Amino acid sequence: MGKKEKVSVRICVGTACFVQGGADLLLYQDFLDPVVLAGCDIHGISCISGCKDDTMAVRPPYIEIDGKVFGEMTQDKLCKLLREAVHA
Amino acid sequence: MNDVFIDVDYAQIYKHGQKIGGDVFLLSRQDASGQIVCTLSDGLGSGVKANVLASLTARMAHKLSFSPMDLTRSAKIIMNTLPVCKERKISYATFTIADLRRNNAGEVLVNLVEYDNPSALMFQGGVPVRWEREKIDLKRDGAFKREVLGHSFLKLPIGSRLLIFSDGVTQAGMGKSLPLGWRLDGVRSFAQKLIERNPDISSHDLARDVVAHAHTLDRLTAKDDITCMVLYVRKPRRTLVVTGPPFKKEQDCVLVEKIRSFEGKRIVSGGTTAQIVSRILNRPLKVDMSCWSPQVPPCSKMEGLDLVTEGMLTLSKVATVLEQKRQAYTLPNDAVKKFIQVMQESDQVHFIVGTKINEAHQDPSIPVEIGIRRTLICRLQRALEDNYLKETSLEYI
Repeated sequence: MGKKEKVSVRICVGTACFVQGGADLLLYQDFLDPVVLAGCDIHGISCISGCKDDTMAVRPPYIEIDGKVFGEMTQDKLCKLLREAVHA
Repeated sequence: MNDVFIDVDYAQIYKHGQKIGGDVFLLSRQDASGQIVCTLSDGLGSGVKANVLASLTARMAHKLSFSPMDLTRSAKIIMNTLPVCKERKISYATFTIADLRRNNAGEVLVNLVEYDNPSALMFQGGVPVRWEREKIDLKRDGAFKREVLGHSFLKLPIGSRLLIFSDGVTQAGMGKSLPLGWRLDGVRSFAQKLIERNPDISSHDLARDVVAHAHTLDRLTAKDDITCMVLYVRKPRRTLVVTGPPFKKEQDCVLVEKIRSFEGKRIVSGGTTAQIVSRILNRPLKVDMSCWSPQVPPCSKMEGLDLVTEGMLTLSKVATVLEQKRQAYTLPNDAVKKFIQVMQESDQVHFIVGTKINEAHQDPSIPVEIGIRRTLICRLQRALEDNYLKETSLEYI
């Protein structure tokens, strides 16, 4: 069995995201399960530009998981999403 | 902005057991003409009495150098005004005045007047320079001794330094480690070694090191007030701060070219702005997740830029810290601390402010400190100029 690719996670650290809950997401090392953490490749990104996109249905903070943007992210939602992505 | 920067600072240690010094250093700058006057005076005796004498002398010398009055006349006025010491029955205080002006060619000219202080030292790079002083005999009525002023007119090219100190420096160690004290030659070779070791040493550090060494020679119990002032003419250290995307997208390339061609340190403040630079220069932007605090988003790294930070939150925190004059080492390790450190190491700061409105920041649910970029930059400029005496300039794009 080949080694499974890590889940690519990008957390937006732009102003709008940071002040609306993004700062909490940066504590991912504290609240994510170590197994999930090991299966993810987590980076920051200056701006996902979701806040400037009128077609975006959800509000900041945004996070990108394997190329797909999610909004209104919280620590609990992130735990759930990443657990699913890693164990998929 | 000027192409020449004059870095002046001094260090001082009082005589052992004294809470007030008999050496007084004054520095002031006239904004309109750019004239800088530094005065060092050593009063007779020590403690409060000496401080009164030295303060009087320094203040008078200082004020008189801004007036068009003849030098000899100024000196006579000072000496006639000084009160007579009760024990020694004489009125006496030494002084050195360095009056700096810039000429049209951008050179720094110094009018140096010395009275009974140890001779000032000049260095060009690491090489000591000796010069002849014109002697002026005051021939004042009622003088208790012959009063001779040393007058010299010097041109300070870039890279030169002038050291002015009180006799506490040259006499340091007298009767303790050195029979006749440190003496002028000792100070000269010590300063020369320091400059050779670190050719860019700031006035602050050089003055501090000279004073600290004199203090050591006195076995940490100074026998007199030890004061050293350093004047360093150098090229200004420049920093560019870019924040906000240009109003028109076509200007993006112009902005990036300005960043690329700037000589000095470069800071980009703003996520979108950083992405524009990254896209045009085709250099990856990497967020440094180890460097943030709950109030300040992480900074990023990009080749060719000294610092990349988030925009409004970071800048507003930087403005607050500069306004409160907080020390960098008291701050958490985040983008604000790094920003402040770069500011403190610069002499001139140039701001390029993009005027595009960020729609996302107009959302009423986000904090009020995310204000208007232009107002924020004005706060930064004022704090840098008023609290840190930096030169700033601003352009919009």
